[in-house]
Amino acid sequence: MVAGRPEPAIPRRTAGGFSERARAVLDALEHLVGGLGTALLAFVAMAWVTAVTLLCAAGIGLLLAPSVPHAVRAVAARERARLSRWGPEIIGPGPPPARARDALADTAVRRELCWVFTHGTAGLAFSAFAITLPISAVQDITYPLWWRLLPPPDTELTGVSWTVTNTSDALLVTLLGLALAAVFVLLAPAMARLQAWPGRHLLAATADTDLSLRIAQLSATRAAALDAHATELRRIERSLHDGAQNRLVGVTVLLGATHRALTRDPAHALAILERAQDAAEQALAELRTVVRSILPPVLDDHGLPGALAGLAANCAVPCQIDIDLPGRCAASVEATAYFVTAEALTNISRHSRARHAQVTVRRHGPHLHLQIQDDGTGGAEAGGKAGGGTGIAGIRSRIHAHDGHLTLTSPPGGPTTLKVQLPCGS
Amino acid sequence: MRIVIAEDDPLLREGLALLLRAESLDVVATTDNADAFLAAVDQHRPDTAIVDVRMPPTHTDEGIKAAVEARRRHPDLAVLVLSAYVEQAFATVLLHAGGHRIGYLLKERVGRVEQFLDALHRVAGGGTAIDPVVVAELLKRSHAGNTLHALTPRELEVLALMAEGLGNTAIAQQLVVTHGAVHKHIRNIFAKLDLDPASTADRRVTAVLHYLNANCKS
Repeated sequence: MVAGRPEPAIPRRTAGGFSERARAVLDALEHLVGGLGTALLAFVAMAWVTAVTLLCAAGIGLLLAPSVPHAVRAVAARERARLSRWGPEIIGPGPPPARARDALADTAVRRELCWVFTHGTAGLAFSAFAITLPISAVQDITYPLWWRLLPPPDTELTGVSWTVTNTSDALLVTLLGLALAAVFVLLAPAMARLQAWPGRHLLAATADTDLSLRIAQLSATRAAALDAHATELRRIERSLHDGAQNRLVGVTVLLGATHRALTRDPAHALAILERAQDAAEQALAELRTVVRSILPPVLDDHGLPGALAGLAANCAVPCQIDIDLPGRCAASVEATAYFVTAEALTNISRHSRARHAQVTVRRHGPHLHLQIQDDGTGGAEAGGKAGGGTGIAGIRSRIHAHDGHLTLTSPPGGPTTLKVQLPCGS
Repeated sequence: MRIVIAEDDPLLREGLALLLRAESLDVVATTDNADAFLAAVDQHRPDTAIVDVRMPPTHTDEGIKAAVEARRRHPDLAVLVLSAYVEQAFATVLLHAGGHRIGYLLKERVGRVEQFLDALHRVAGGGTAIDPVVVAELLKRSHAGNTLHALTPRELEVLALMAEGLGNTAIAQQLVVTHGAVHKHIRNIFAKLDLDPASTADRRVTAVLHYLNANCKS
């Protein structure tokens, strides 16, 4: 969906099973690659654990022992974050016990160790196999295009188990590639689930896990939510006072003046009345602005796609909206996504000197992902750049209030990418 | 009457000036912030200043501070403060700067031009003009403190009008009673509140307000 047209935008439900399947396969591929990454990390952690254990046996590893639970926890935390992005959130325990002996007695650490050994061995082998599948499929499908370029004696070194001497042999390879691709398409989502299974099973919090860190974090975000709420109320009060209220006082003053002038100088009275009417209209316009800044009616009428399309249409920089949501999110989440986009687009048109902006919205599992990118000069930072800074600080507090995450990458010279992840609340 | 206006909202500033000039009052300067206002008062030596409470840069109580400062520099200056909402603390600060030649009104009162001009002339003439809403608020709070329980309903009415700054004649007109009756009520009020009946009109108001104000705080 390209923004800039005022027609009501309806969330694009993927037509038919094909594109849905394609998306599922692409998602699964992304997960498999991510899983391969954490499997490599788990392998390194495993090697470290083994090395320290051996050194302990030799007597000199005791000094290194405290690093083991931390290394394991760091890798496990990465896997937790990865899995939480596309499935139910996996809540991690707090920091591991400082002493190695306590750490070994800790259930969470022991389960993490189990996971490191599973994911670092079987998980790594499985991930490598799963990734090889699509790579060989592509290699085989394209084989007829490039097999002639291979030096003749080496035709057997392409992963194909028979000697290729002519084009029809090469086309057979293509068939093999298509078969591989079909297998991958059929199995990819299941493989991704299987790859994630040890993590989901072993890294999830058990009933006796100490969740105090998580509770502290929730308390902090809740306080931030209340703060954001109070700030919001103050902003509304200020804009009502400075805007509509002052205009209306102006109206009463002008009406009073009209009243007095009516008997003395009717022509003058008419002129003042004209000004009173102008002031009343301004008051109405300002009330509308305030109302819109509280909860834009467009969100209710057209949902997030329509509301964002409206923002893009009003943006000074040409902006494309790509939004694909299966349904509605909680109203507060949609409002946050809307205001974050509004603020970001304002920053882009004011500071970035961009020629193009792109807003992408997706839902992965329980999270709404919002990405806003521009091709401007970059250099935006959370607390720095005049004008832009407060905007980004505001965005950050709104997002934290919803227990969401924000990452901003904006190297000097651009491009600037703002990534936001919000729990959908439904 | 020579007047200086301090009001940051352009529409309101021009509206006020227009209204006052139409009444043949001499608006010698209009300003939109506290510093410019104080400079204008020093330069033009007006009889009366009309000051908005919220002005740049913080939009909180710049107007009150400027009004108090202007009074410190020019004790004879009459100050009428306009506010978008009722804040008792502002009234207290103003009254502490000296109870006479002080007014504190809600902005929308300006629209009732006759009453507004009346209040303006009263303040300029050495009296007081406190917004009825402020007075009602003060009386309500004082009720809670049990201090005014001795007063009859009629006496409370009289006290409220006195606190707004009305003189005996105006009170008599408003309540449709004789001058003598008002005089009697006021004597009773002072007796019940232990105030000296011999003081002058605006001192009475100040005394009453200070008294009420002290009760709110306790």
